[in-house]
Amino acid sequence: MVAEVLVVGGGVSGLACARALAAAGRSVRILDRARGVGGRCATHRLLDMPFDMGVGFLHGQDEGFLSEVRASTERRIEGWPRRVEGSGRPCQPEAFRSGEKRIALADGVRTFPKHLAQGLEVRTAARVERLVLAAGGAGVILEGGEEVRARHLVFALAADQALRLLEGTPDLPRPLAAVRALLDTSSSEPSLAVCAAYPEGTAPPPWDAWYPEGSHVLQYLGNESSKRQPASFVGLVLQAHPGWSRQHLDDPAWPEALLAEAARVAGEWAGHPVAHHAHRWRFARSDLASELAGPILVRLPSGGSVGFCGDRFAPGGGVEAAWVSGRELGRRLAAPEVS
Amino acid sequence: MSVAVQDALRSLVARDRDHECDGFGPSRVCVRVVAVAELPTRFGRFRLVGFWNNRDGKEHVAMVHGEVVGGEDVAVRLHSECLTGDVMGSLRCDCRDQLTEGLRTIQREGRGVLLYLRQEGRGIGLLNKIRAYALQEQGLDTVEANQALGFRDDERDYAVAAHMIRSLGMRSVRVVTNNPDKIRQLTQHGVTVSGRIPHVIPPNEYNRFYLETKARRSGHMIDLVEERLPEQSDRVVVEGMPR
Repeated sequence: MVAEVLVVGGGVSGLACARALAAAGRSVRILDRARGVGGRCATHRLLDMPFDMGVGFLHGQDEGFLSEVRASTERRIEGWPRRVEGSGRPCQPEAFRSGEKRIALADGVRTFPKHLAQGLEVRTAARVERLVLAAGGAGVILEGGEEVRARHLVFALAADQALRLLEGTPDLPRPLAAVRALLDTSSSEPSLAVCAAYPEGTAPPPWDAWYPEGSHVLQYLGNESSKRQPASFVGLVLQAHPGWSRQHLDDPAWPEALLAEAARVAGEWAGHPVAHHAHRWRFARSDLASELAGPILVRLPSGGSVGFCGDRFAPGGGVEAAWVSGRELGRRLAAPEVS
Repeated sequence: MSVAVQDALRSLVARDRDHECDGFGPSRVCVRVVAVAELPTRFGRFRLVGFWNNRDGKEHVAMVHGEVVGGEDVAVRLHSECLTGDVMGSLRCDCRDQLTEGLRTIQREGRGVLLYLRQEGRGIGLLNKIRAYALQEQGLDTVEANQALGFRDDERDYAVAAHMIRSLGMRSVRVVTNNPDKIRQLTQHGVTVSGRIPHVIPPNEYNRFYLETKARRSGHMIDLVEERLPEQSDRVVVEGMPR
């Protein structure tokens, strides 16, 4: 069966969009290239401890967003990070503005997208290669050649990935060409991340988050074990500055370089984990100068429409912007005049 | 200018010190009068009233001429900040003409208020405007792209404007506008609109092309009539132009 709406990207934005559509009684299907939902709200298990590899904690002011986060689990740590060290620039400076609520999830940040995905039709391990425009709607070609069609198509991806798909589509109609040009005016920042588990007996660091001011390599050290009480060992997540990440994306030795910098910044112990895992975020976040005011919904001359939402498509950036823009796009798509 | 006038406006600062209401519009925006000072201008004497709001860092202001607190049928013009037009004299828009004509109208009326709404105060507003202009130069100007770039959040503007009008204690206003929707929106937010003053700009060398249809195709750098960002929600009406 062909769904009314096909959402490409099962991160928080795509899931929020699909939920708004499902709540309005629309049929909606989600595709995600990974094995599970969540996108950059990613939790990796290492020695049976959850490590938040991308988004370390959720923050925002929007009441709808905060109540959805709180509905996702009882096991929350409100106010995390409480013990913040260092005067370096945080990945999300807005997170520390007054009025902003900060919440970490005890079982990992991916609890939130998993909650959003409940009851939705999600197909994982489906990598979209190409966009096809046809009479009466649109569709995508998956890796392997399968075509999936729908009347309405939503791209809930990092804006750079949406741009790549538009660039690969010949003869874009004028409104989509405008979106391509708009997305081409800025790009996302990468971030290289390592999670590390330390030997039993390592003294727990006296901070929850550290933004070191004296490092051009390390932007953030997250004390994961402080979210996972009781924790049997110390675990950190290390995330690199965007500039350094860009230079080292294709350098195979970057995880070791990141650990060496952690040792320099936090003490020798931080350079010697018993286990670690590395992840490359090519499109980790949008910088503030690229933020847009809202999601985009373009009507196709041939019928149907194509929408765009994500963390760049609402003021402030981050997970809150992803959720807000996804929900708004879903509501717009569900409005009677669109269908 | 009488002392009584100054006192009426100045007393609003003390009145609003602890002001907190349910707010206006869907975002429930609430404003307070926080400062009042004289502002002599080349268009005549005004007093500048500075507002704080509970939603963002935008510092909206009102330019007040004459005695308006408690007044009826007061002339009110809503103007959205446009740095490129108001200050730089850009010919991509008519904002400067619209601003100066609004101020002249208020002087002519003997009393009135120009609400200067800081549309571009959202940090990246100006950057996104330049991006929108860049898209136009590529021949791309769609309503959707402009919306994504933040042009524009009329609804929020009207809610703020309605609260500012309430805060200035005007019982009823005559809106300086060509846009009936502006009147409808303000009415919906509880403003008593007792009339409309047409907003007609005198012709000058920069807007004359509105009067000469052939100029539309005369190779203006940008097609100023067809491809516009909606900086002000008023359609431009130049004196002598067929309406």
